[in-house]
Amino acid sequence: MDDLLLAGPDTDDCLRFGTPTDRGTLRRLVAERQLRLRAAGLTPDGTAALSMGPSLEFVVTLLAGWREGAQVALLDHRLSAAETAAALDRLAPQVLVEDGPTPPGAALRGYVEAPVVVTGRPGGRPAAGEHRLIQLSSGSTGPSKVIARTGADLAAELDRYARMPDFPRRGGRVVLLSSMVHVLGLVGGLLHALHAGAELVLPDRLTGDGILDAVRAGERPTTVIGVPFHAQLLTAIAQPPPTPSLVRMIVAGELVRPAVPQAFRERYGVPLGTMYGMTELGVIATDLDGTAHPALTPAHGHELIVRDGELHIRRPDNPYLGTVAADRWSDGWLHTRDAAEIDPDTGRVVVLGRRDSQVSVGGLKVDLNEVEQTLREVPGVTECVLVFDNGAIRAYAELDATTSPQEARGRLAARIAGYKVPRTLRALPRLPRTNTGKLLRSAEALRAAGEQMAPSA
Amino acid sequence: MSLLPPFDRAAVIGMLAAFGDRDPSAVDEEIGSLELTWLVTEVEQRYGITVELPEDALDAVWTVDDAVRVLGALLPAAAAPAEGR
Repeated sequence: MDDLLLAGPDTDDCLRFGTPTDRGTLRRLVAERQLRLRAAGLTPDGTAALSMGPSLEFVVTLLAGWREGAQVALLDHRLSAAETAAALDRLAPQVLVEDGPTPPGAALRGYVEAPVVVTGRPGGRPAAGEHRLIQLSSGSTGPSKVIARTGADLAAELDRYARMPDFPRRGGRVVLLSSMVHVLGLVGGLLHALHAGAELVLPDRLTGDGILDAVRAGERPTTVIGVPFHAQLLTAIAQPPPTPSLVRMIVAGELVRPAVPQAFRERYGVPLGTMYGMTELGVIATDLDGTAHPALTPAHGHELIVRDGELHIRRPDNPYLGTVAADRWSDGWLHTRDAAEIDPDTGRVVVLGRRDSQVSVGGLKVDLNEVEQTLREVPGVTECVLVFDNGAIRAYAELDATTSPQEARGRLAARIAGYKVPRTLRALPRLPRTNTGKLLRSAEALRAAGEQMAPSA
Repeated sequence: MSLLPPFDRAAVIGMLAAFGDRDPSAVDEEIGSLELTWLVTEVEQRYGITVELPEDALDAVWTVDDAVRVLGALLPAAAAPAEGR
């Protein structure tokens, strides 16, 4: 791991969370954190879970865990207490690392500045296999899937990035806007920057001005990595200040609105590249110069096919811990659940959208079935349907006589991460159903039924 | 006379409508976190200010009216919403 991620001159600035951190300092902080993890009960081949916002502490802890040979599970710090507790029950890590309490901070910060809290968990289990990275993904049914990747798998993904001439190189800068606990921000942003020798910069503020300030703060060739929302945000700035160091923006995590790539190029004079990837596999296909949009070229070593309209990708081993449903992975192929078309002449792929109940809110994946099931269990809710309509998750529910839509939504918000909470919850005396009695899931029909009713929560 | 456009419900709905090129009638009364980030960026651009708010103040913005009240309080008097507007 040292060769892959920590090598380089002591004085090389490699991370910037407000202030710069050079490689010598990073190596020292990582070594110190290793001692702290060990003291908390991390054994060789042990397990640690991180529930931390983007921060220098997060990077230090992740690298320290790996340097100890541990399996590190990354939990989104925005999960609710109940969601985090369920994840910890399932994973049984030996050590939990969290952000400590902070004084009330400014809104829309790009990173967290908090003391780190390391807690030993007696009864935590050592790692069962070679996997070094564990991530949870919302499943369309039942509990989250546990996605596991080995060190070799991560090294192969870093090699894929290193082969992309348009990805940041040594001497460059990466302004990272994507979540660092999800695969594209983690591997494409953080780990690639450390591997390639580019400086990773987190903006002080995640507003349009804040992002441009971070870009303009350095003279070295700068690549911004974010989600399509960020590109939309920057494109909407009518007269941005000059950004001479900006060479490219790369977005991933959801589909890009058709007009945005060209508008971005006109605004900033540089390409808006796109990537497609999955937690199970990392980066899968790219269009980094924005010339093939919406088509993407498969990344080195990936084999893609479309079966019955669904994109399948070669993956020899089961990417999940435990048993896996055959409609997720079978016979060495991962079933992406994305609809796609592959051009037989060029091999390029166009991803058309999800074939299941997963939606993306600002690049964060939300499974509508999971949220719907949680809402159905909320006291006062007798039946409900969730749809993704006009850019937002919307809930329609039958409530008992004593529960208001505001109360139902509030009870739901206490159980799930904020980004999963429906924008609107409308109470209907009876949800529309088909002739056979099934709940109708048409956004139009639900909207029409809702418009006749009282205001929403 | 100020050159700053007034910051009222119509202004907020207009800024939110630009997110995704929507018709103003398609803008919800409720504001999601992405829309809020969008709105803050628009306010900073249009009114030339930096929106500096504690996290809990922004977390309390759930609706268009909340946004008019909370963000409007940061603006120069010429643009801020009048009492009861």
